[in-house]
Amino acid sequence: MTRPGLVLEVDDRTPPLLVHEGNGFRLEEFPRGTRVLYPPESLPAVPDVEAAITRALLEPIDSEPLPQLLFPGMRLTIAFDDISLALPQMAAPDIRQRIIEQVLTMAARAGVNDVELVAANALHRRMTAQELRTMLGERVFRSFYPQGKLTNHDAEDPAGMAHIGMTDHGEHVEINRRAAESDLLVYVNVNLVAMDGGHKSVPIGLTSYKSLKHHHNSHTMMRSRSFMDHKASAMHHSAWRMGRVLKDHLKIFQIETTLNNDCFPSTYAFLQKREWEWSIRDQASMLAARRGLSVAPASLKHRIFQGIRAPYGLTGVAAGEVEAVHDATLARVHRQQLVEVDGQSDVMVLGVPFIGPYNVNSTMNPILAACMGLGYYFNSYRGKPVVRQGGAVILYHPVEPAFNQLHHPSYVDFYDEVLSVSTDPAVIEAKFEEQYATDPWYVHLYRTSHAYHGVHPFYMWYWISHALDHCGDIVWVGGDRRAVERMGFRSASTLQDALAMVQGSVGASPSITYLHNPPHLIADVR
Amino acid sequence: MSVLRLRASRGSVAPTGARGVSLVRAAREARTDLRLVARGWRWGRRPLVPASAVSSTVVTPRPPFPTAWARTPAVSAVRDVIQAAGLVPLMRRELTTKVGGLDVLTRLRELGDGPVVFVANHASHLDTALVLTSLPHAWRRRTAVAAAADYFFDTWWRATGSALVFGTFPIERRSGTLSSTPQELLDDGWNIVIYPEGTRSPDGWTQRFRLGAAFLAVSSGVPVVPVAIRGSFAAMPRGRSWPLRGRPAVTVRFGEPLWPQDGEGVRELGPRIEAAVARLHDEDATDWYAAALRAATGTTPSTAAPAPPATARSAADDGPPTSTAVAAADEPLSTWRRVWERTESPDVRRPRRVWRV
Repeated sequence: MTRPGLVLEVDDRTPPLLVHEGNGFRLEEFPRGTRVLYPPESLPAVPDVEAAITRALLEPIDSEPLPQLLFPGMRLTIAFDDISLALPQMAAPDIRQRIIEQVLTMAARAGVNDVELVAANALHRRMTAQELRTMLGERVFRSFYPQGKLTNHDAEDPAGMAHIGMTDHGEHVEINRRAAESDLLVYVNVNLVAMDGGHKSVPIGLTSYKSLKHHHNSHTMMRSRSFMDHKASAMHHSAWRMGRVLKDHLKIFQIETTLNNDCFPSTYAFLQKREWEWSIRDQASMLAARRGLSVAPASLKHRIFQGIRAPYGLTGVAAGEVEAVHDATLARVHRQQLVEVDGQSDVMVLGVPFIGPYNVNSTMNPILAACMGLGYYFNSYRGKPVVRQGGAVILYHPVEPAFNQLHHPSYVDFYDEVLSVSTDPAVIEAKFEEQYATDPWYVHLYRTSHAYHGVHPFYMWYWISHALDHCGDIVWVGGDRRAVERMGFRSASTLQDALAMVQGSVGASPSITYLHNPPHLIADVR
Repeated sequence: MSVLRLRASRGSVAPTGARGVSLVRAAREARTDLRLVARGWRWGRRPLVPASAVSSTVVTPRPPFPTAWARTPAVSAVRDVIQAAGLVPLMRRELTTKVGGLDVLTRLRELGDGPVVFVANHASHLDTALVLTSLPHAWRRRTAVAAAADYFFDTWWRATGSALVFGTFPIERRSGTLSSTPQELLDDGWNIVIYPEGTRSPDGWTQRFRLGAAFLAVSSGVPVVPVAIRGSFAAMPRGRSWPLRGRPAVTVRFGEPLWPQDGEGVRELGPRIEAAVARLHDEDATDWYAAALRAATGTTPSTAAPAPPATARSAADDGPPTSTAVAAADEPLSTWRRVWERTESPDVRRPRRVWRV
């Protein structure tokens, strides 16, 4: 029996609690009365994954079975979520590989020759050949990559993009030309959180800056409350409008998968458990890990954490019409991640872990750390934010000003040039966005190297605009003082110091809520 | 921007992870971590679950701490020495003890060598030592004491110490199930001391009696000997680890054994035991006959405060005004008055000698 989520109230029986902070973690003794949100335990995985996929493809929701949509001479494009999902990376075989292999088997049986696979990376970095091979498996990779039929989406290729039309709000709908001109687009999702999937898949994953800027801007992000609830998210509203335009021009067969909360392999089992249930072995593992990490060089720590592969179990797979499939997906995600919370609190505490969507096999620089904490975790709610308007957020992360030069070249300039002028998302957007988005050097690196698009750091900053607007104080514990100040925040050495620093906005005895994730959770605040 | 781009490509913003590692610092941090974990996860003690997580936590029951070794002849002999040479003199030095009703044990022995269940009220850690040191040696050496598994058997050293000195065995007081050990002990001819309140009284007044002792008596067919302890709360209440100075007075009184009657169930015997202990308290505070009269009319002062006013008034009318009766007469009794009442030591002054030498 899977236990539901838990709201723990810290008392004198509560052991120190684990808090993630980048490539490491610490044990924190929270003040008595602190609420701690634990996600539900992992739901049981589907016992026969292959059979579940087959059933989903043969019995889709509001759509003909996949074999009926396949015919000789057709153009078939299979798009799939890029390496930003799942987090941590999924232990092999990846669910995308298993689905795509079945889709291709059906396509081969139907005699479809013109098949291409596209990683839906939007303005993310291009995946490397090795990453594609790992994600899709040797069979798929060998059959398509050498022929140039397995590619990354290129949003800056003028010939590779197709303008579909405009929404009734005047938003450009532009997607990958190959996908747009296909007889069938099969999209394979990994719905790690409620934000993913639905019309966010094709209209965002296969689009361009021209289309993205309609919803990836400070104004829309500020009104997206939250990203985990597409009905209350302005960003999703825009994506849904685009999706409905696309629907009239393109046949999309959406496949969505949901995962359970098995984020960590058995070596790191203690990261998955509630602390008071740690066995002696868990305690010993934790101590050994902490001591080992304390003496390990940064590069080794990076390798250790980036090497974590999550043994996620599949909780369900659905295929068919986009919106109908997504409704079924959301129900499963909510069952796995929703935690009922009674009311807001004065202070919200977050531990920013070692990985986010944009530093897979890369470095979590200060901007990505801010986005992970204040963009994703802060917004991981339904209803109201966990912290009250004007309250304080306390985050844990080293916030080292370290950047991956290959993946995040524009981030360095954003950090040095933009944040030194302003940290206000609206000001940044008006003054710098266009310049970074169209800079030929960044476009060149995006298209030919493995760099995130020049405008990507701006999007990261827009993600946090709701938190910036909502919170009275934001303090980082254990963060590099200069980097934290550069981003317009304050830093503290300990939780006690941080609580003292935010007294001005929340008083001397604030109510505190700590989000104990990962594993992933959505706070359903009543 | 081109300048900044150059800086980026040359890697001017470098990772800051390369730091010298001080072995001394690492050792200090390791020690801090170790202490934190040892304290947080209660190494060597019973792990605790946060109160708000109890309902959602599955606790794997630990096997009971073995205590059979403490009842072997060799360890019993060691315990005899510890109790006779250590515990008895210590109790005499720290307390003024008055023991009454031991004749019931003599009469019990006339009926046979069968074991009994001693049932006493519980207000202090002194109670076990008081009962044991009050018993004649022949009884004491065959008496084991039921002790809370979650307190006395929390750590190995506490469990070992209490089993060695007092002959304790663990009993689960939270699970609602009775361990099989008490039954086995009775079958082996061991007497058992049980505190049916389950824990020490927070204010000195008797709490509700649970039915474990009655269950044992009914299932084993052994008699229950009620025991009233007065003054132990005043001498060493919760929170103290040593008796107050000045040899405070305590009394221990044994009462007539209660035999389970034919067809009598646990729910009938339980209240009889509770009433017998209350009557012993009354007897100890007044005299045997006055207490017997009140018991016959059902007006024995309750030891669970506040007592009904009618009972208190009757007790006050029929005998000398006991502190219990006075306190119970005024309802409602405030918390401080409940505690105040029970911090008064019983009067154990001996009558003045008529003949002076």
